[in-house]
Amino acid sequence: MAVVEGGFRSISPAEFFYKNKEIAGFSNPARALYQTVRELVENSLDATENYGILPRIKASIRELEVVPEGAYYEVTVEDNGVGIPPKYVPRAFAQLLFSSKYVLKQSRGMFGLGAKMALLYAQITTGQPAEVIVAPRGSKHVYGFRLKIDIGENKPVILSFSTTSNISGAHGTIVRLVTLGDWIRSKQRIYEYVKRTAIVAPYAEILFRDPEGNCILFERSIDKLPPPARETLPHPHGVDIETMKGVLKSLADKPIAEVLVKSFQSVGPVTAQRILEEARVDPEKISGELSEQEVESLVRVMRSYRDVKPPRADHLSYLGEEIIVSGLKKVFDPEFVSAVTRRPSVYEGHAFIVEAGVAYGGRVPVVEKPLVLRYANKIPLLYDEGSDVVFKVINEKKGIDFKVYGIEFPAPLVILTHICSTKIPYRGVGKEAVADVPEIEEEVEAALREVLRELRSYILKKRRELEEVEKAVEIAKYIPEVARSLSKIYGVNPREASAKLLEALNSKLRSFKIADLDSVVNWDEHR
Amino acid sequence: MSTGSYSTRADLRARERALKVLYERFCDILKDVMEGREPKLMIKRRTLSNTIYDPERKLLLLGDATLERSFLDSRESRKFMQTMLMASIVHEALSQGEYPTIRDLFYRGKHTIRYRRLPSKAVGEENTWDEQAESDSVLRDIEVFTNVLREDMLILSKEKGKVVGDLRIRSGDDLIDLSKMGHGAYAIEPTPDLIEFVEVDADLVLIVEKDAVFQQLHRIGFWRRYRAILVTSAGQPDRATRRFVRRLNEELGLPVYVISDSDPYGYYIYSVFKTGSITLSYESERLATPNARFLGVMMTDIFGSRKLGKKPYLSEEERRSFIIRAKERDVKRAKELKEYPWFRSERWQLELDEFLARRVKLEIEALVGKGLKFLADRYIPEKIEVGDWID
Ligand SMILES: Nc1ncnc2c1ncn2[C@@H]1O[C@H](COP(=O)(O)OP(=O)(O)O)[C@@H](O)[C@H]1O
Ligand SMILES: [Mg+2]
Repeated sequence: MAVVEGGFRSISPAEFFYKNKEIAGFSNPARALYQTVRELVENSLDATENYGILPRIKASIRELEVVPEGAYYEVTVEDNGVGIPPKYVPRAFAQLLFSSKYVLKQSRGMFGLGAKMALLYAQITTGQPAEVIVAPRGSKHVYGFRLKIDIGENKPVILSFSTTSNISGAHGTIVRLVTLGDWIRSKQRIYEYVKRTAIVAPYAEILFRDPEGNCILFERSIDKLPPPARETLPHPHGVDIETMKGVLKSLADKPIAEVLVKSFQSVGPVTAQRILEEARVDPEKISGELSEQEVESLVRVMRSYRDVKPPRADHLSYLGEEIIVSGLKKVFDPEFVSAVTRRPSVYEGHAFIVEAGVAYGGRVPVVEKPLVLRYANKIPLLYDEGSDVVFKVINEKKGIDFKVYGIEFPAPLVILTHICSTKIPYRGVGKEAVADVPEIEEEVEAALREVLRELRSYILKKRRELEEVEKAVEIAKYIPEVARSLSKIYGVNPREASAKLLEALNSKLRSFKIADLDSVVNWDEHR
Repeated sequence: MSTGSYSTRADLRARERALKVLYERFCDILKDVMEGREPKLMIKRRTLSNTIYDPERKLLLLGDATLERSFLDSRESRKFMQTMLMASIVHEALSQGEYPTIRDLFYRGKHTIRYRRLPSKAVGEENTWDEQAESDSVLRDIEVFTNVLREDMLILSKEKGKVVGDLRIRSGDDLIDLSKMGHGAYAIEPTPDLIEFVEVDADLVLIVEKDAVFQQLHRIGFWRRYRAILVTSAGQPDRATRRFVRRLNEELGLPVYVISDSDPYGYYIYSVFKTGSITLSYESERLATPNARFLGVMMTDIFGSRKLGKKPYLSEEERRSFIIRAKERDVKRAKELKEYPWFRSERWQLELDEFLARRVKLEIEALVGKGLKFLADRYIPEKIEVGDWID
């Protein structure tokens, strides 16, 4: 805690977040338990799939002791990820705003907060340290840490450190902490989170053990990983003053023209010259020496500069149709499933990709109105759906009319949307709803319409087949009557005549046959 | 043939013939079925649009439009089944020497089919037919399809036509003298083709639509005095009455006159005798009497006609007390009649126009009100005498 004269003081990030826990989702024991599981699982997914590793994640919650506000729970999350070099472990887990993800790269975590908030909350509610065991990929050793956070200084406190040899050659991370939670109040939310995570990560094996002793295993149903997210340079259209200042600072001693070429996508020497000309900035000027006005003017020109290629999207990690289909199949066992990955698109200088999937029939629960599983950068968005762009697209009054697609609610239908981008325009700090940026809205709608169109042709085909079945019964039920009538006039064997009639009927049917007339109509009921 | 021994020879012959035709006509269906083809019945359509007026023969006939009733078409399969069912029960009744009514046929064929809907497997129940309208309809189809009328299949229906006159007939094995019916009359049998005309002494046939008026004319000996065969249809004529009248005209060469109420319904009853009915146009060829003449009551009988140089039969005062204001539906019906080709003659148009202009009608009873004698001894004979009828 740094005390400045006159009563002013600055607080450490740890202290700040300690006092404002709700910002990071740790507002009460129930939310905290959910958020803890979530942060740790997301770190594990980032540490595996981004490195070409098929994830194997075990998460468990064990109740230790009941207290008035809830109970103390031991939360353990284990993965087979790349691990963390031991020298970074203390800071990665016990120093707020320390992250390996502060680069322009699509990932789940991005604020460098998640793991630390979980630890911080655990520490302040139970006083117990966290345990982190890491085996970095290729490491001959397994390192164990017991850590606490020095809240005032925002610094890790290492309570113990151990090294053992890594005999099996396995790699990954285990994080274990004891925290105050409320399982009863968070149970549904946690299960929903795990299930939704499993839907978009069918390439992961996820085991979850709850404090009641129940276990749920989502087996891997596909061996394909999404393309890994790669680091990228910002696009001129997406630059803002803060980013620009960061860029200038990082290369403060280089001429501005060179800095632009090095730091931005699609900017070559010629483009850099033209931009600077337009912004009335001397290309030779050392970037650290740009005035405030020059920075502003430069940002303004870059944001609207027309003559550059649109942002690249090859660094984005989308799910892909196969993975979406596999995930929906695995979790819902539907009768029909379809998915689409749209071509990359751009909003405000940021590339993004929208994907959508539908699952219909089978064991898909019947819903009264469209149910959308929303995802952004592979994270399930569980709350605040009313203010999400997807909600706007499917809004009952103004949005997509499902009847057009042959769907009448209640219907066994589930819809999935995934938006991935280096910058998701979240609405508010909650990270639960995506703002209705027109470009994104348009893509979401196009993606949904695309999958719904496929669903529609399936439904129509099925309806036609159903109609054929119904029509066949309309005819088959009269066969005994007609056969008997013929038998009365001509003395033919009614069973033989009816077999012939059934044969003639079957030869006209396309999508199905009646194998056994007795299964459709009762002979003996007639005289 | 359980009751066969009681049947008359005429019945037996009719039975054999009907059985043979039924057997032959449905043979193609049997072949289709046994050889694995889609069974289809080709039946002439019994719709207004397929009802054609033949002005030469003055008959309403069934056109050539046919419907294809395929068993393997889900929209037609029920009707197909019903047609086959009806054929089989008619066949059965014929071969067992029975005389079913159409009501009997309805009950005989009505039963429940139990089946399973797919894919739900829910049990469904359905009757072969629910209302007599359904069984009647397929019976008509069978008449059209086999070209045998129900009378010839010995199917009875409730008949209400009556006849008296100097005529002796054989019905079944009995000889009946229609001049010796006392105050009653001979009820025309449902199978008039099995009647044999033995002897006749008459000059004309007079059909009276109203039963009451028929009785009055009978009681005052009209038919004896004017050498008439007196017939009543008691309203809309049934098939037997029509067929009987047709035979009187065709086989005995007697002119046929019709008197009915003077309103569109009365006129239409006459036209049913003469040209056939729209719903049963397939029977016209055998039931209609194209030579039948409309004797009255005409609009011009009531009001006279300057154009025809005709004086009215009713005085101004009589008109005031006898005529009735026409209802809206009478007017509507008259307009429809005006459009029918068989009412297109100048003479009919004049009557209908007169009706539409005056919007009044008159029942035959009104003429009786003027005096039964007036009706029997003046109105009818005078109009026949001077030829004041419409052809
Ligand atoms: N399970 C893990 N495996 C490997 N690295 C991890 C794991 N958990 C956390 N890390 C590292 O710790 C850093 C901090 O994590 P966190 O506090 O959750 O912030 P963020 O995920 O936003 O970067 C991550 O950037 C990552 O480098
Ligand atoms: Mg994180």
